[in-house]
Amino acid sequence: MNKKFALLIAFIALVVVVGITASSYYSTLLEMQQYKPNMTKQTPYINLENGSPVLGSKNAPITIIEFGDYQCEGCYYWFHNTRADIIDNYIEMGKAKLVFVDLPFLGHDSLTAAQATYCAEDQGRYWDYHNILYNFQEEIDNGWASKDRLIAFAYNLDMNLDEFNYCMDSSKYNKRVKANYDEAIKQGVEATPTFIIITSDGTHTKIQGAQPYAAFLKVIEPLTSAIPIEQP
Amino acid sequence: MLIPLSILSEFIFTEPFFIINITESSSISFVLILGVSIMSAIVIPMNVYRIKTLQKSTSKIGGSILGSIIGASAGICSCGPIGFSIISTFGTVAGTATAFLTNYEIPLRVGSIAILCLVYYTTTRSISSECKIS
Repeated sequence: MNKKFALLIAFIALVVVVGITASSYYSTLLEMQQYKPNMTKQTPYINLENGSPVLGSKNAPITIIEFGDYQCEGCYYWFHNTRADIIDNYIEMGKAKLVFVDLPFLGHDSLTAAQATYCAEDQGRYWDYHNILYNFQEEIDNGWASKDRLIAFAYNLDMNLDEFNYCMDSSKYNKRVKANYDEAIKQGVEATPTFIIITSDGTHTKIQGAQPYAAFLKVIEPLTSAIPIEQP
Repeated sequence: MLIPLSILSEFIFTEPFFIINITESSSISFVLILGVSIMSAIVIPMNVYRIKTLQKSTSKIGGSILGSIIGASAGICSCGPIGFSIISTFGTVAGTATAFLTNYEIPLRVGSIAILCLVYYTTTRSISSECKIS
């Protein structure tokens, strides 16, 4: 009995010592983390140089940044259920502008589809191409965004196919898409679609997921109530 | 199970506001989630009862858990945070797996409901016969 009692005391003492050590280590770790730059946290500046051309007036006071993947089902839902209302009520009214930043992670075709949009931008057809991708989205990597289909989309838009093919074959915009991916990661984006709404004074609000128009209304409307309407 | 699945499948959002969003195009998916949740809520406790109270084998609970796991993991948006972190961590293989779960969401959920219905049937029969007063 004495031996068992001694073992029990020793075990409890061990647990207490380990617990104190672990909590001390953990609190030290927390303190250290305060001094480390956290690259996943949102930074005040979002680099949009490699993003899409602006949809709407460049002078619009509110910027809506959409981080998306052309094979993302949620992005598809948002495109078809919410985007039109935002365009009608905010972008066309000059209150907001939209920029799309690629976060291609779902499959191989996500990357090539994103590159294709910038090849379309060379011919001034970025947003038309963007729209056609979301109109014809199918299952991930089932071939709907294969190179042949991407060329077919360009054909449908009456684009110069020689220029488009050259752009795609040369992987001209591979680095640009990669830069967008890196920027999205730096901003702490961990799902698509994710939206960051930026006001003219730099205030950021993040909306994650294919949320309905009501969510955007609640965020954007208070920001626009004091802004005079500026037509694009 | 309904609430977490609805959050993961982006029918319920909690940030920046609490919003429930079920569109016409996603209504089938929501109904299937409802079905999986209801069947799991019925079948798993039944089997726990069988094991704990009737001291029976654990074989049937495997079926109910399998059905629940399949139903839960199918269609969890691969573009959501879970899918993103899995793909970011494990790369192409994970991408293929999550793409499969997304692309075949409806058949997988229908299959899981079928498994759960089968387990319900066999569990009900088992409990009925095991509880007979001889």
